[in-house]
Amino acid sequence: MWLPLLGLIVGIFLGLLTDIRIPEEYSNYLSIAVLAALDTLFGGIRAHMQNIYDEKVFVSGFFFNILLAASLAFLGVHLGVDLYLAAVFAFGVRLFQNIAVIRRILLTKWSTNKNKN
Amino acid sequence: MDKHKKNISFIAISAVIGFMIAIQFQTVKKPVERDTRDLWQLREAVLQEKELQSELLSEIRSIEEKLLAYESKQKRSKEQALLDTIQELKIEAGMTKVTAPGLILRIEPILEEIQVGAEISTSVSPELLKRLLNELNMYNAKYVSVDGQRIINTTVIRDINNETKIDGHALSRLPIEVIVAVDHIDTAEKLYNQMKASKATEEFFIENLKLTVSEPNPEISIPAYDNPIRIRYLESLKANEGGNT
Repeated sequence: MWLPLLGLIVGIFLGLLTDIRIPEEYSNYLSIAVLAALDTLFGGIRAHMQNIYDEKVFVSGFFFNILLAASLAFLGVHLGVDLYLAAVFAFGVRLFQNIAVIRRILLTKWSTNKNKN
Repeated sequence: MDKHKKNISFIAISAVIGFMIAIQFQTVKKPVERDTRDLWQLREAVLQEKELQSELLSEIRSIEEKLLAYESKQKRSKEQALLDTIQELKIEAGMTKVTAPGLILRIEPILEEIQVGAEISTSVSPELLKRLLNELNMYNAKYVSVDGQRIINTTVIRDINNETKIDGHALSRLPIEVIVAVDHIDTAEKLYNQMKASKATEEFFIENLKLTVSEPNPEISIPAYDNPIRIRYLESLKANEGGNT
């Protein structure tokens, strides 16, 4: 499953080439959106490995999570509460969980392959 | 088919994530601009800013005074306030005759050359005249006229068919007089000293001309600018344009 990595590299390359900068006050929103997107991506990889992957869930989750995270951050700014921390926390925890699951699956696959050999 | 579609969405979404990360990275990591000015350059910068500040403050004060005058005069006579402003603007634009302390600079051919009988210079080059005017402006000259022609902000000095013309009027033959006026006699005194020490005399001498600076005169009169002032590229600013500086 090297495709996400390839896409990531292509995206980073494109982003660096275009030399786009966003105003500093919006960088908070972008960072939290990146976090949400990463969470969705790892969720998708995990689902793919567990064979419960659903295209619609994946794509809609991607956009919905980003929007939710950004609007949470926006609301937080206007309420004077650091609400984006909630999003950071939620996505962070899920990111770790997903990565842990992926790691376990990979480990199991590896050990079964080894046993077969 | 399904797998193919899945791959595409994976690639697309991870590319978007990569794009976002790259933008975020670029936004956060700005090149550090180093200030390499030394102490004296910094001091000069501070001085400049301070001058600007004091200029702005005095401008604010004068505008506030005007506002106050408008307000107090509004009840009595709106017309008078407007006429006053027009008069003020006319003075500023150089459309009135001015009598103020100042000094007279005479430009004439060098005497020695006349005796020798060589060809004498009959006119002043526009470059030389511009240089002299710039220098005078640098020394805070307020009202200037050259050979009876008032110099204003939009005055052009140029060479047309080997004749130096100021706003279309040809300079008469030498000697000609440059009359410079300032607001106060002390400033005139200062201007006189600065002109005596300036390089202008040597610059004129190179072109076979002699520049004589007269003693400051407490009452000197400068004619008004007599051509119509044409404004071609200037437009009034609307309240929501042009920023707030």
